[in-house]
Amino acid sequence: MNNLLKFTIGIFLSLGVAWLAFVVGARAQFGDLSPSSQNLDDDGNIPLDADLYPLPLSGTAEQGSKEYLALGCMTCHTQQVRMVEAGFDVERGWGQRPSVARDYIHQEHVLLGNTRIGPDLANVGRRQPDLEWLHKHLFEPQSLVPQSLCPPSPFLYDQVDQPSDKSITVVDDSNISRFIVPSIRAKRLVSYIRSLHQDYELPEMAFVINEEDEPDEAAGKENLLDFDSNQSSLPSWLDTQIASGKEIYMKAAPGGGLCFTCHQPTGEGLAGQFPPLAGSDWVLGDKERLIKISIYGLMGEIEVNGIKYNNVMAPPGIPPGSLTDQQIADVLTYIRNDWGNSASAVTSLEVSAVRSQIKGRAPMQMWTAAELNAVDE
Amino acid sequence: MKLNSEQIIDKSLKLVVCFFVASAGLWLLAAALFAYISAAKLTDPFFLSSFEYFTYGKIKLAQANAFVYGWGGNSIFAVTLWIVARLAQTESRGRVLVIFAGIIWNLAITFGLLGILDGHMTPHEMLEMPAEVWPALFISYCVIAFFIVVVHRSRKNKETIAPQWFLLSSLLWFPMLFLIAWNGLEINPARGTVQSVLSMWFGQSLIWLWLTPVALGAAYYIIPAILGRAIDKYYLAVFGFWCIATLAPWSVVHHLEGGPVPMWIPAIGTVMSIAMIFPIAVASTNFHSTAFLDISKVWDSLPLRFVIFGTLSYTISSYIGVIFSLPSVAKITQFSIINDFHFNQRVYGFFSMIIFGMVYYILPKITGNEIAKGAKAFHFWTSAFGVLILLLAYLIGGLTHGVLAQQPSLSWASSVISSVMPYFLITELAFIVLGFSQLVFVINVWKAIIPNPFAFWTCGDSQSKPETSA
Ligand code: HEC
Ligand code: HEC
Repeated sequence: MNNLLKFTIGIFLSLGVAWLAFVVGARAQFGDLSPSSQNLDDDGNIPLDADLYPLPLSGTAEQGSKEYLALGCMTCHTQQVRMVEAGFDVERGWGQRPSVARDYIHQEHVLLGNTRIGPDLANVGRRQPDLEWLHKHLFEPQSLVPQSLCPPSPFLYDQVDQPSDKSITVVDDSNISRFIVPSIRAKRLVSYIRSLHQDYELPEMAFVINEEDEPDEAAGKENLLDFDSNQSSLPSWLDTQIASGKEIYMKAAPGGGLCFTCHQPTGEGLAGQFPPLAGSDWVLGDKERLIKISIYGLMGEIEVNGIKYNNVMAPPGIPPGSLTDQQIADVLTYIRNDWGNSASAVTSLEVSAVRSQIKGRAPMQMWTAAELNAVDE
Repeated sequence: MKLNSEQIIDKSLKLVVCFFVASAGLWLLAAALFAYISAAKLTDPFFLSSFEYFTYGKIKLAQANAFVYGWGGNSIFAVTLWIVARLAQTESRGRVLVIFAGIIWNLAITFGLLGILDGHMTPHEMLEMPAEVWPALFISYCVIAFFIVVVHRSRKNKETIAPQWFLLSSLLWFPMLFLIAWNGLEINPARGTVQSVLSMWFGQSLIWLWLTPVALGAAYYIIPAILGRAIDKYYLAVFGFWCIATLAPWSVVHHLEGGPVPMWIPAIGTVMSIAMIFPIAVASTNFHSTAFLDISKVWDSLPLRFVIFGTLSYTISSYIGVIFSLPSVAKITQFSIINDFHFNQRVYGFFSMIIFGMVYYILPKITGNEIAKGAKAFHFWTSAFGVLILLLAYLIGGLTHGVLAQQPSLSWASSVISSVMPYFLITELAFIVLGFSQLVFVINVWKAIIPNPFAFWTCGDSQSKPETSA
């Protein structure tokens, strides 16, 4: 302790070891991630013609991220959806899946943030895709959300006396209208906010799944079961079935269905890729078809509410095709009774009846819509 | 009159220490003003909302930076310069250069804060001041640190004691930390979330490895000096020191629980945070078992009262910090205003309180001017009261915030944040109390340095340019 040189080396080493681990270690593990496709082929390679995710930001949005930084939005907003076992971010609807490191590789400055006085913004572009809404919110959040603490930014807008085709009308509590014209900075910022969505699959969703076998999970499960739906007037057996179905729908771990990653927590699906479950004629229709899909998956062209999709849904469940009769009954009952859907419950007896009826089918052989409809007739 | 050796050392230090203490005081006022504005904006978002300079995010970060680099940096220099020279029994060196470097340091912070307000901040925790000012800050820091090390090396007694370990390590850790972070964030930037890991690591380490050791070192110095008795169980201090040195750099990243970073990072952070129980226990045993041997003396001496308040708050809140790093608790409070609790308890309740005590101890010695007892006591009680209220509001408010945020069915603005609103109001009031308290402190300090009231008022007005006034 008395020799200054040795002392210095000592305290330098104490810092250096931590640095080696966190910085060098993290860099080695995560530093060279590159964009990837939603699904890998059988050998774990990126298919040649696949789109790569995450997509880079557009130029305007990139500039908007600088405004976002400069105005200090990060002091109140995070941009990270935590793992399912670490919090209820997904449940809250702040994201359809947890954020992973690859989501951030294009960003020059990563704006994760560490305080949530405002909601998480990692997927705000999905929640609030409406330009006009975003402009009004940026100009004066209180005009849309009266109790909002989000700071108004009137300095990013010109207020004009007369409405024009460029102006946006903001109406406040006392019904006074103001007409605002966004500046270029406001347009950039809004374009950035709108570009925030992590709604693609990445190969490491599988990684996330493996990480989930943790003691914590039991606690998380209980809370999930507690979820408070406004359906408390339903008989309690149905309530329980819906609650457990919702859990399976939202769960990204063995025993879960992972349905939310494709069909979204809102049940709306994704335009052009994943058909909606909300209001779907398939979901509300014949139970047998639904059960068959849930055991063996579905592929090929399908028409849902008049819109055609052509994609693949592997046998649901983790691992694929592993959902039990009761689980299938629960999750189907759930999707038939949320987002405005209302249809009869599915029981595990019905599921096992269908299962024994089709037991000759080769494992993993997905149905096609045509095949299912043919059986129907 | 013949001066004894201590007085000669004090005399050699008078100008530099006064300079740093005086500038520190002005930054403290600036930080108090920013703190008030940002708190007021959380109770009324329309407060000053039409001025882009006063956007919440900018003010909030300006406050943190003014507090840590302006107040913290300047007072660290003052305290370290003085204690190291006293313990080395050597006069200070390179005074002109040190003052010059000090002026640069303060100018750089002034520009840095203006840069933040003007929208040029960087996204790195505690490195938010624009990139351009950092080389100036770094070089001026190194100049000052160099002369402190020179004084330490020419010490009369080769044996070193606890205050010296803590002060010197803090002195050396800052440039190391800075270089690592600067390299990984600006010169050779890491991609993706590795950046966030590094910036969070820097932000937390800065508090643990720069501010904390100074305050601990000062406490190790002043407690025996005023009480006139040796630190109880002093042999534990070495253990405590190396525990902090080896554990603290690891324990600081548990904030990333569940985030998009390698899983092992928050996991290690948690384990190490729990291990921090040892150094915390050592420091608190050392300080408190010594102080409680002679508690009436502690009560009578105002500087010591400040210091013991600081060490008590260190102990209590560090244990609370350990609890909040457990994953099951962290996932609840992780993104809540508990973060403000941690920041303020460390920087205000612990670091600043000890520095206040130190300044009240040093100033009369080097200037020869006593500070009125009533004014000091007023400062103590308002500070103690303000900090307590502030920390309680952040603690309870943070728990409310975190617990409600975990209820997905509650709407965000109208249920979660509305329930936290009353606590924002309390913090606003606490910041007003603290603002007055700090004003009294600064008046006390300036009066001791420049007893002529007329001179005091003219200097007091030039708040924005602390460097010119000393
Ligand atoms: C004082 C903290 C604070 C700051 C700073 C802040 N916000 Fe907010 N923000 C909130 C709160 C609270 C809400 C929730 C209430 C609402 O929707 O207005 C919110 C909501 C939002 C929403 C709507 C999110 C949703 O899911 O509906 C957007 C978009 C948003 N903020 C953008 C920004 C931008 C852009 C900035 C930087 C200019 C910013 N915020 C700065 C507190 C803040
Ligand atoms: C990997 C993404 C993915 C997952 C996970 C997934 N689905 Fe699907 N789902 C699809 C696709 C793609 C289709 C359309 C298939 C086609 O084009 O033939 C579909 C179709 C459906 C349909 C029929 C069409 C409709 O919209 O009504 C139902 C019902 C359905 N899925 C239910 C579920 C349930 C229940 C789960 C969870 C147990 C689930 N899906 C999980 C991708 C997925």
